[in-house]
Amino acid sequence: MNWLPGWTRRFRERRELSAEIQAHLEERTDALAAAGVPRREAEAIARREFGNVTATTEAGWETWRLQTLDSLLDDLRYAARTLLRNPGYAAVVAVTLALGIGANTAIFSVIRGVLLRPLPNRDGDRLLYLRQSVNSSGESDINFSVTEIRDLRAGVPALGGGIAEYSPFVAVLQSDGDATRLNIGLVTGNYFDVMGLVPFLGRVTRPSDDGTGVPPVVVLTYDFWRRRFGADSGIVDRPVTINGQQAIVIGVLQPAPFFPLQMDVFMNMVISPHHVGALMQNNRTHRMTEAVARLAPGATLAQAESQVATVYARLQREFPDAYDAKANFQLSVIPFKRALGERARVTLWLLMGTAALVLIIAVASVANVTLMRSVRREHELVVRASLGAGVARLRRLLLTEHLMISAIGATLGLGLATAGVPLLVSLTGRYSPRAGEIHLDGMVLAFALVLAIVVALVLSVVAFLPSEGALASVSAGGRRASGGLRKRSLQRGLVVLQVAVSVMLLAGAGLLTRTTIRLSDVPTGLESDNVLTLSANLLAANRGANADGGASTTQEYERIRDAISGLPGVRLVGIASVMPLRSTAPDLDLAVEGRPLAPGAPAPTGAVVLANPDYFAAAGLPLLRGRPFVATDQGNAAKVVIVSQLLAHRLFPTEDPIGKRVQLATTMGMFSGDWRTIVGVCGNTQDGGPAGAPTPTLYIPFAQESPYAGGFVIRTLSNVTDAGVAGVATEATRIVRQAAPTVPVEDVMTIGQFTDLTVAPRRVNAALVSSFGLLALIIAAVGIAGVLAFNVNARTNEIGIRMSLGAQPGAVERMILAEGGRLVGVGIGLGAVGAYASAGILRGLLFGVTPHDPVTFGVVLLTMVGVGLAACWLPASRAARIDPAITLRAHS
Amino acid sequence: MDNNNRRDLFPGALEMMVLRLIQREPAHGYALVQRIRERSQDLLQVEEGSLYPALQRLLKAGLVKASWERSATGRRIRVYRLTSAGSRHLVAEVSSFEQMLLGISRVVAPGNA
Repeated sequence: MNWLPGWTRRFRERRELSAEIQAHLEERTDALAAAGVPRREAEAIARREFGNVTATTEAGWETWRLQTLDSLLDDLRYAARTLLRNPGYAAVVAVTLALGIGANTAIFSVIRGVLLRPLPNRDGDRLLYLRQSVNSSGESDINFSVTEIRDLRAGVPALGGGIAEYSPFVAVLQSDGDATRLNIGLVTGNYFDVMGLVPFLGRVTRPSDDGTGVPPVVVLTYDFWRRRFGADSGIVDRPVTINGQQAIVIGVLQPAPFFPLQMDVFMNMVISPHHVGALMQNNRTHRMTEAVARLAPGATLAQAESQVATVYARLQREFPDAYDAKANFQLSVIPFKRALGERARVTLWLLMGTAALVLIIAVASVANVTLMRSVRREHELVVRASLGAGVARLRRLLLTEHLMISAIGATLGLGLATAGVPLLVSLTGRYSPRAGEIHLDGMVLAFALVLAIVVALVLSVVAFLPSEGALASVSAGGRRASGGLRKRSLQRGLVVLQVAVSVMLLAGAGLLTRTTIRLSDVPTGLESDNVLTLSANLLAANRGANADGGASTTQEYERIRDAISGLPGVRLVGIASVMPLRSTAPDLDLAVEGRPLAPGAPAPTGAVVLANPDYFAAAGLPLLRGRPFVATDQGNAAKVVIVSQLLAHRLFPTEDPIGKRVQLATTMGMFSGDWRTIVGVCGNTQDGGPAGAPTPTLYIPFAQESPYAGGFVIRTLSNVTDAGVAGVATEATRIVRQAAPTVPVEDVMTIGQFTDLTVAPRRVNAALVSSFGLLALIIAAVGIAGVLAFNVNARTNEIGIRMSLGAQPGAVERMILAEGGRLVGVGIGLGAVGAYASAGILRGLLFGVTPHDPVTFGVVLLTMVGVGLAACWLPASRAARIDPAITLRAHS
Repeated sequence: MDNNNRRDLFPGALEMMVLRLIQREPAHGYALVQRIRERSQDLLQVEEGSLYPALQRLLKAGLVKASWERSATGRRIRVYRLTSAGSRHLVAEVSSFEQMLLGISRVVAPGNA
């Protein structure tokens, strides 16, 4: 920008020079007047003596001319004139580039916000996430026990910045007549120091808030403070009621993303007796806390990793019971920023790659248009060259023109990106806690600028390449022949490239689309048409009522159930602690009667669900063997359970499970540890989503345990319409609200809606890639048709002669079709090879289809052949309609 | 004043004279016109149309600097002063000019004919 001061000085000097000349004229006039010349005459003489004032001022102005800038402005003026003379060309090119640049800029803004931007945390690069897992599969994070964290604190000096514990905890925030479910992070006092987060208002928790005998305190996250308290700055020191206990809000946290779960508020542990209890504090295998750590000053990630590995190996030697050798225990140290981007990374880079392919097609297409135009412009360029314009100068003219058009494209593209960002934010929100950080910042603008410049350079090279020969041979007088061949082959190459890249994009789109179809087709394990769910945690709202073992709460659920059953259109209402297909049921260790665990062997686990007798029929969960729960399975009756088929198989691979007894080995203080008799086996359900494995589940009669959570599964009559189901939902919600005004009513949706939600992110993925693919297809088709049409145009003469010599229109049409067909064929071939080679990248995003799915590839190739032929047919049929008489006359 | 006998100055001559004049005494454009005429005893007459662009060139090259001042008669004038770069340039110009003059006179001198 160092031309800017020179530029403004130039204008200042012009003003000064004018003033100076004026003063000169006055002085001369005064001198003449003093010598006795009449004033008027003196003025005229002074002027005459001085000469041409304007010319002198202009000469001064020229002195301050900035060579490069001024000629750049000349070039810009020239470029603008050229583009305005060809508004059609300019519009096509600008729009095509806008699509390419816009798509890339939008996706890049997401990558920048979610993966690249520095964390808001102090020294965010030194923040680490610790993960303990078993069986080396990503799904099997098992968290840490407090004892393990203590060992790491003592043995890993490289994590001297601190290791903090936090566990997710769900509770209900009550206020007058309103209740909200709260996702709480129970944290140790060093958590915020380790995370490098400071309060936005008030204070955060500190080590003195740890342990028992301290008052419960609440730190609100920034988002929750705005959402729930309307950013009330007087919130600090205010008491709130959480699970019936009073706690004080001590502060609001700065905005920040969390991992692995998003929190509404943070609290010290004292609110949960379990977290400060002996089991949690002292049992090495009671792994219920997440851990974040900060590198000690000067320590590196590698040091931390090696020290952690040493300590972990020692722990495994010392406590073989706690680390089953078969389970392959692993402890990894992951930069927090990477952990945050973990789930989004593959998807985002896929989208970035897709967008890049779209840009390649767009540039190839624009390059082709530019090539065709450069044939027409060749004459102009040759004339300019012969009039003395240097090759460098002509190159610059073309570059300026392309810079201008790609700048217009980039500006339009930024507009598109701006419009697309809200959509991408909502998509990314499903993958990343950092979605809120996506916006078009300076880096994104710089990205768009660089894209625009690269595009302009590529176009200039392409446009100039073939003309070079022509310019060199200008003196030889050769006009048409030169460069034609290179140009033609370049054009063909670009068409092939477009077709090939389109095939790759379409293949990717096809695979992802088939994935979503496959996912939607996965049976959930339920007959879930016309089933509505609605959860409401009555127990959490009246904690005091638990004195009777939950019996009164159970009765309240039953009263509400009866009221909902009375609604018109309702066939059956089940009650359960967790709604069907949710993965939120507690996963607890189980023991089988008469079969003690070998030391160190992992206990079998099962998701524990409380369900009443009607639940199974209401949810459409089939009972495969044994008997259902009945009304007499009450608290005082014999304890019974129903197990899912998978759990039955795991516990009793060879025996009949009916009549066997099992026990909850860990009860978390939520359940009793009684022995329970298996009375039935029901079907499996896909609680982990359609792509996951079925969940081994243990069902306990709702009336036999304290209902720690609850909700209703409402099956409507099969003739009830969607609108009718929505009406039932409204009425049922009203009934719950009336019966328990302080309880939040959640998950009011049909099971179909819920399963749609679980597939939705992949569906949006598939839709994005498909729309990119479609875009590519359209651009490619227009490109093929354009190039062929241009060639037909250029060969009008030749075709006219052929036809006058007896060639039939059909033969001409076939000739052009064959020309286009060859290009399309080569493009499809290359594209198929490219897609086949690169489809492996998609493997992690696919479900139910292989990356080389023959059906997808077949459909894509057929589509491309069809579109390619259609694109060739248009110019071919035009060629066939050429009238030889007219052409020959016109060209004679 | 014999107009027929006047010839164009060689490139750089005007600039050199301007630099020398304002080295002796800072001056504005009008004064420079007068002084060149006086000092050359009417042999040289500088046109304003050349002088002012020359001053602009010197300004741009940083050899002189200009400031608006009040003259003794209370007139607002733009006075030019030599910069240190200007005095260095002047020394070099004058010496190369003298070399050239010497060379020309050796060639043109009658004894060499």
